[in-house]
Amino acid sequence: MDRVKSTKRGSEPTPEPILEEELSAFVESDQSDPTSTETDAPIVPILEFDQVSKSFPGGYSAIDTVNLTILPGEFVTLVGASGAGKSTLLKLVYAEEVPTSGVVRFNGRDLTEIKRKHLPYYRRNIGTVFQDFKLLPQKTAFENIAYALEVYGKPTEDILAEVPQILELVDLDGKADNRPKQLSGGEQQRVAIARALILQPKIIIADEPTGNLDPVSAEGIIKLLLEINQLGTTVILATHNQGIVDNIGRRVVLLDHGHIVSDEMVGRYVTSERKPRPIV
Amino acid sequence: MKTIKLWRTFKEGVDNYRRNGWLTFATVSVLTLSLFIIGLTALIGFAGSLAVRNLEEKISISATFKPDVSESRILTIRDELSKYKEISSITYVSKEEALKQFLSDGNQVNADAVTAIGENPLLSSLIIRAVNPADYDLIATKLQSSSYQNEIDTVNYARNKKKIEGLNDYASRARAIGLTLGIAFTLIAILITFNTIRLTIYSHRQEFEVMRLVGASNLYIRMPLFFEGVFYGLTAAVSAVVFLTAVAFAFSRNSGPILTEILGGTTFFQVYLSFLWIFAPLTIIVGILLGVVSSHIAIRRYLKI
Repeated sequence: MDRVKSTKRGSEPTPEPILEEELSAFVESDQSDPTSTETDAPIVPILEFDQVSKSFPGGYSAIDTVNLTILPGEFVTLVGASGAGKSTLLKLVYAEEVPTSGVVRFNGRDLTEIKRKHLPYYRRNIGTVFQDFKLLPQKTAFENIAYALEVYGKPTEDILAEVPQILELVDLDGKADNRPKQLSGGEQQRVAIARALILQPKIIIADEPTGNLDPVSAEGIIKLLLEINQLGTTVILATHNQGIVDNIGRRVVLLDHGHIVSDEMVGRYVTSERKPRPIV
Repeated sequence: MKTIKLWRTFKEGVDNYRRNGWLTFATVSVLTLSLFIIGLTALIGFAGSLAVRNLEEKISISATFKPDVSESRILTIRDELSKYKEISSITYVSKEEALKQFLSDGNQVNADAVTAIGENPLLSSLIIRAVNPADYDLIATKLQSSSYQNEIDTVNYARNKKKIEGLNDYASRARAIGLTLGIAFTLIAILITFNTIRLTIYSHRQEFEVMRLVGASNLYIRMPLFFEGVFYGLTAAVSAVVFLTAVAFAFSRNSGPILTEILGGTTFFQVYLSFLWIFAPLTIIVGILLGVVSSHIAIRRYLKI
């Protein structure tokens, strides 16, 4: 992983000249080492929600005037019941949805400024992990991870070098040639995480990554996410698994009906009604 | 960079084509059938028009002259008639030649009849062919109202009239039916192909979402499908040509000599071979276009963001 860390994103070969500008625009403001937060220099938030609202046709409001700032290197857990707006909030980050009002900034840059055709390049800054893994069923674990690099135009020899390393990191070096169907849920999710990591994104977004997993696998996934965070990547985790949240001991943002109800630096899962916590 | 991406999307297209066995089979089958039907309709139209043209050439009217009209007079009339642009050819058949032709079919009854009469009962005639079969009516009227009308014994147009009109009628109807069927089948083929490819792409829609999330540009997602479309079209076109060749060959072998005669002395398969020169490249182009355009349109809706 050390080798992976030392590679600067900005020096990556990029397929198109416009893209180079696009990417460097995101990278420039991010020269600060996320782990050395004690320096006096002002830190540009990696993510900023400024009065963001999102409503869908029919008047349903998923997110309502949310203000949220996430600094580089943070591990933020979004909690809330189903329909509280967690997924919508995350979709706004990887620009799958556009806010109805307000501004979402990535590294200080308004996401609505990104041209639609440049969105794929922007998305390479963000690793995504989902409840349903979203792996390509026809490809092996290796190919699924390699795909993220192929799309990026990486030379084949680099792909052949990098993918096994990342597979080792997620503890799947023996399963490189297995198709998703031949892997357990936990293994599939680790492939998905490896794929999210391979481009060394600024942020990893995990939307209910443990939703389909047994408690042991789930714990493994969370541990992996924490490890990744320790290496400097910002992690945003959305979950409604209370046991998991309470064990992480990091920042917890509670959403309810599209509003942020609480935001604690070392949080626990508390619903607004303070229900007793069930055993998970 | 561009080349490596192009190569990767090409490989991806090949993989999709290979991996989706059943879907590829279904898509290619439908496309093959469509191209085959279009080809068959075109072939029937092609052979049909060849037959019609050939039959048209066989039609003529003959003006038979009275026995006392001299050969030189007939030849003068012939030269006069050949000035009309509606007439494509005029052949003079003397009474001796007419007799020779009459006896040449080896029918003994005919020969006996001629012997019994003791002299040549036939008359000299001019055999007139029109450029356009529809003009026979006009030519016949002209002959019968000409200055030499008294020298003409008979114009056999009346006898041929029914036959000629029937052929005219048949030819234009065959063309109309062929064209309508051809257009209808082509449209159906396009719709079916489009729909099949849309289904193929629909079955992969979740993958497009994944690809976009991983950061694949729309072009990168599209290119494998473009290549897939090319392969579908190519395979289908080649299969359609092979099937049509087999059908034409079998039909040619099992059809009697009448068909060959109708086609002007060439076998049906020979006709097919001359048709193949235009048909094969055209099918391949149409097949590839159908595959590529269908997949291009079908994927658009899944690449909105």
